[in-house]
Amino acid sequence: MAALPRRIIKETQRLMQEPVPGISAVPDDTNARYFHVIVTGPEDSPFEGGLFKLELFLPEDYPMSAPKVRFITKIYHPNIDRLGRICLDILKDKWSPALQIRTVLLSIQALLSAPNPDDPLANDVAELWKVNESEAIRNAKEWTRRYAMDN
Amino acid sequence: MSRTREQAGSSKSSGSAGSTEEKEKDERIFECNICLDTAKDAVVSMCGHLFCWPCLHQWLETRPTRQVCPVCKAAISKDKVIPLYGRGAAKHEDPRNNVPPRPAGQRSEPEANVGFPGFGFGDGSYMSFGIGTFPFTFFTSTFNFGETRPSAAPRGTPQFEEEQFLSKVFLWLAVIFICWLLMA
Repeated sequence: MAALPRRIIKETQRLMQEPVPGISAVPDDTNARYFHVIVTGPEDSPFEGGLFKLELFLPEDYPMSAPKVRFITKIYHPNIDRLGRICLDILKDKWSPALQIRTVLLSIQALLSAPNPDDPLANDVAELWKVNESEAIRNAKEWTRRYAMDN
Repeated sequence: MSRTREQAGSSKSSGSAGSTEEKEKDERIFECNICLDTAKDAVVSMCGHLFCWPCLHQWLETRPTRQVCPVCKAAISKDKVIPLYGRGAAKHEDPRNNVPPRPAGQRSEPEANVGFPGFGFGDGSYMSFGIGTFPFTFFTSTFNFGETRPSAAPRGTPQFEEEQFLSKVFLWLAVIFICWLLMA
């Protein structure tokens, strides 16, 4: 494997030195491009109180292409599907090399506060979110309690 | 007792940490927005964001259809960046890299501070002509005060004919004047 770019080393160091409140990202022992991430559910959202595990991988041409991020913890959210894949523009065509691991994870946390059922990835969830928001929120709270709290 | 010692210790450590922190902050101001290292072959976009030229070039190559600033998403292009030439920017170029050189800085010459142009010193053509018909050169030069001469009107236009006529009139006037001088 090629040497780790200085940018990845710097980002990792800074994540350790100045961690983002509510977010932790720790590189894997065997692969410095693979991060174990934990994001706390934002306040005043149905995900409050939950700890959500994610995996983040920096591809070979990072930062020219976006990191690959996936939820490992099950989550009831219109923009996150059963496999944990996330529908977020900055992870796709709106990626910019000025973004960082830190900003990507902050965006994902913000997505939890602001679900967007008009641009769905999990169709059934988005549908319910549109026709019966209170029931959808109840489901999200239930999933948070069931999958994101006992670890 | 133990508390004061602790305080002294902590203030000492925070002092040294503060200076390194400050130094790092200084470095961060001049960081490339892409590689997060001190920008080398630095360029600034029109929107004011700093990059290494190789980093920015690589990004614009990967997204040929969407040429936007990585930081603020303003439209940018490879030709419209300003190179930064710091001091101590030693050139060590690797002949293997295939990134084209940065666009050059755009220089405009400072406005020449023209003094009184009336006597036309240093302008040979004015001088050599000026002796015989002194009053005329004096007039023309005072009328042309500080202005560049307008270009001649194109051939065939009424203005061209008018100018031809005027120049003939002045030529005759000059001949008459010289004759008068010789007679006197």
